[in-house]
Amino acid sequence: MVENKREPNDYVAQPPWKSPIALSLVLHGAILFFALVGWSWSTPSHEPPPRNISARLIMPEPQAPPAEPAAQPKPQPPAPEPEPEPQPDPEEEARKKAEQQAQEQKRHEDERRKQILLEKKKAEAAAKAEEEARKKAEAEAKAAAQRKAEEERRKAEEAQKAEQERRRKEAEAKAAEEKRKAEEQRRKEEAERKRQEQKERERREAEKRRQERERQQREDQLAALATEAQQEQAAAAQARKEAAAAARARDARMASESEKYEALIRERLSNAWYIPSSAQKGLVTTLEITLLPTGELVSVRITKSSGNSAFDNSALSAVRGVQRFPVPEEQDVFNRYFRTFSIQFDPETL
Amino acid sequence: MMRVIVTLVLAGLMALPAQAELLIRITEGADNALPVAVVPFGESGGVQVSENVGQIVRDDLAMSGEFKPLETSRMLSLPSSSDDVFFRDWRLLGQKYLLVGQLSPGDAGKVQARFELFDVNREQRILGATASAPANNLRGLAHHISDRVYEAITGNKGVFSTKIAYVTLDMENDKRVYRLNVSDVDGKQSRVRLKSNEPILSPAWSPDGQKLAYVSFETGRPAIYIHQLSSGDRTRIAQFPGLNSAPSWSPDGESMLMTLSRDGNAEIYEMDIDSRRLTRLTDHWAIDTEPSWSADGDELVFTSDRSGGPQVYAMDDDGDDMRRLTFGSRYNARPRFSPDGDHVFYVHQRDSSFHIARLNIETGEETILTRSKLDESPSVAPNGRLLIYATQQEGKSVLAVISADGGSNYILPSRYGDVREPAWSPFIN
Repeated sequence: MVENKREPNDYVAQPPWKSPIALSLVLHGAILFFALVGWSWSTPSHEPPPRNISARLIMPEPQAPPAEPAAQPKPQPPAPEPEPEPQPDPEEEARKKAEQQAQEQKRHEDERRKQILLEKKKAEAAAKAEEEARKKAEAEAKAAAQRKAEEERRKAEEAQKAEQERRRKEAEAKAAEEKRKAEEQRRKEEAERKRQEQKERERREAEKRRQERERQQREDQLAALATEAQQEQAAAAQARKEAAAAARARDARMASESEKYEALIRERLSNAWYIPSSAQKGLVTTLEITLLPTGELVSVRITKSSGNSAFDNSALSAVRGVQRFPVPEEQDVFNRYFRTFSIQFDPETL
Repeated sequence: MMRVIVTLVLAGLMALPAQAELLIRITEGADNALPVAVVPFGESGGVQVSENVGQIVRDDLAMSGEFKPLETSRMLSLPSSSDDVFFRDWRLLGQKYLLVGQLSPGDAGKVQARFELFDVNREQRILGATASAPANNLRGLAHHISDRVYEAITGNKGVFSTKIAYVTLDMENDKRVYRLNVSDVDGKQSRVRLKSNEPILSPAWSPDGQKLAYVSFETGRPAIYIHQLSSGDRTRIAQFPGLNSAPSWSPDGESMLMTLSRDGNAEIYEMDIDSRRLTRLTDHWAIDTEPSWSADGDELVFTSDRSGGPQVYAMDDDGDDMRRLTFGSRYNARPRFSPDGDHVFYVHQRDSSFHIARLNIETGEETILTRSKLDESPSVAPNGRLLIYATQQEGKSVLAVISADGGSNYILPSRYGDVREPAWSPFIN
């Protein structure tokens, strides 16, 4: 069948279809073909439209050979059309006859063709109706299927979406949960931290308070001690002060007493000292003298020489020239100041 | 100086009463002359003496102004050696030092002196020595002893054996007679070295004390002579046209400063004595004169009226670094350095009187040393302690000795009328 369909030109080239049988066969075959093909075409529910177009293509073929314009502009009977055309063959006579025959035949043929066409139309209409019904059914089925599929798909999608949504929600919920948990954890930790800090702060403050308390205690103790000590010191200081005052008074008395005698000694020594003419400014002789409580000279020695023997001798002579040094009768004053003392001979007026 | 001022140093007296040692500082002494007893020298071995050696020593020490000798009549004993000294006696008499001595015949007709000096207070002998001299020079022997005693007590070299040169003026037969004399510092043992009817001026000692230079007008014009004392030889070294005056020996004795007007104006020259070569040291329209060397020979002082009146100037020995020293009055002249170079002595006019003044070169402090009216020609003893100058007394010119710090004053006796132009010799060995 496939071959038939594919080789329409063979029919045109060969004259077998001259016979009505052949034509009939062809016609039937065509019908069958169409039916089959249409069935087969219809079966695949996917592409039904191109069936009709193919039929039309066949139609112009039979019309082509005769010069006569196709009486039937209808596209349905394309296949039988070419068959009558190849008949114009023999000689003149023959040809006329033949033409007659042919016309006759043609008339018959047209008759028949009309018949066929009619039938065919009927069949076609039936087929068409059937086809349409089928198509419709198919379409409906298909639509139904489609709808169903669509529905299913939609459902699936919806389900999927729902699933996704669910998952998302789950995830979100989970995330939220986790977040919440984390947050909670964080809060907990924060709280814990704060609690710890608070605790530490409190501990420190407590420590501080404790230290402060201790310090205060110590200070109090120290203050108490200090006060005590102060009182003691004050007492001691007072005692010392009194003692010092007494000592000062004694010292002052002794000092003034000693000063009196120092002045006397100076006068005696100055009167006894004859500064030698070789003395120059800067010459200094220091002597240490030791006296008896009676004022008598026990000893005199040079502790620092001037380097000028005449000058040194003049100092020694001056000391020796004082017969009896004026000294205080009071023994502690004498012992403090005059038992042993130094004299510096240091001329200023040269 | 008479006041007794003492400063007391009480080191830590109040602060450290128990441990402090009292220190008394004595800054001035008795300004009295030092009481010293010079016991008349004993004589032994039949020694013949023509002089009272003890008395000469006593006078020498008194002249110095630093001693006050005890009168012999007050002495309780007259020891002549340490064996006979009882310090208590001398202490009772307030004597600080005691000199005892004994004269005895020495070798070759000389007289020998043994002498001992004691510190009465310390009851200690501080000098014991012998010396001898020809019998006709017992004064020299006595001056020698004075020098030794003086030095032992004061620490300074004595000048009692040095000499004085001076010029006297007398009228004899209505004629002026000028004499150049040389004597001991006490004015004794004077000898006339030159006699002239023309003026004799400005005697100057050579550093060795053997020669004198002076200006004599004996030729009718002033000339400078060098006179050898031992031999009497004289040499005229300068008789240039015009003025020839004011000779002054250099410390090394090899050259002489003098004032010459040979170049038209009185300027100071230095003459090399051997070659007589002259070097002019000043060059000024004013009068520059009376030059005198410092003891170290580095500087000289002179008189110049370049400021309008006579003033004392100093300059280096090559004539550089001229500088005026005196500003105290409008007349300051005839300067002489002290031996230590610290002071300059000169004649200073105040009001209508002329005094001897002393300038401290370092401080510029001027001290008037004399109080008489017409004092002139100061000359310093070689130990710097005494100063001799000419002054007026009872209408006559006399020589006076004064302590260089202005203390004592001692008028030298002279047989002659007017005595001028004294010059104290250097130490003479």
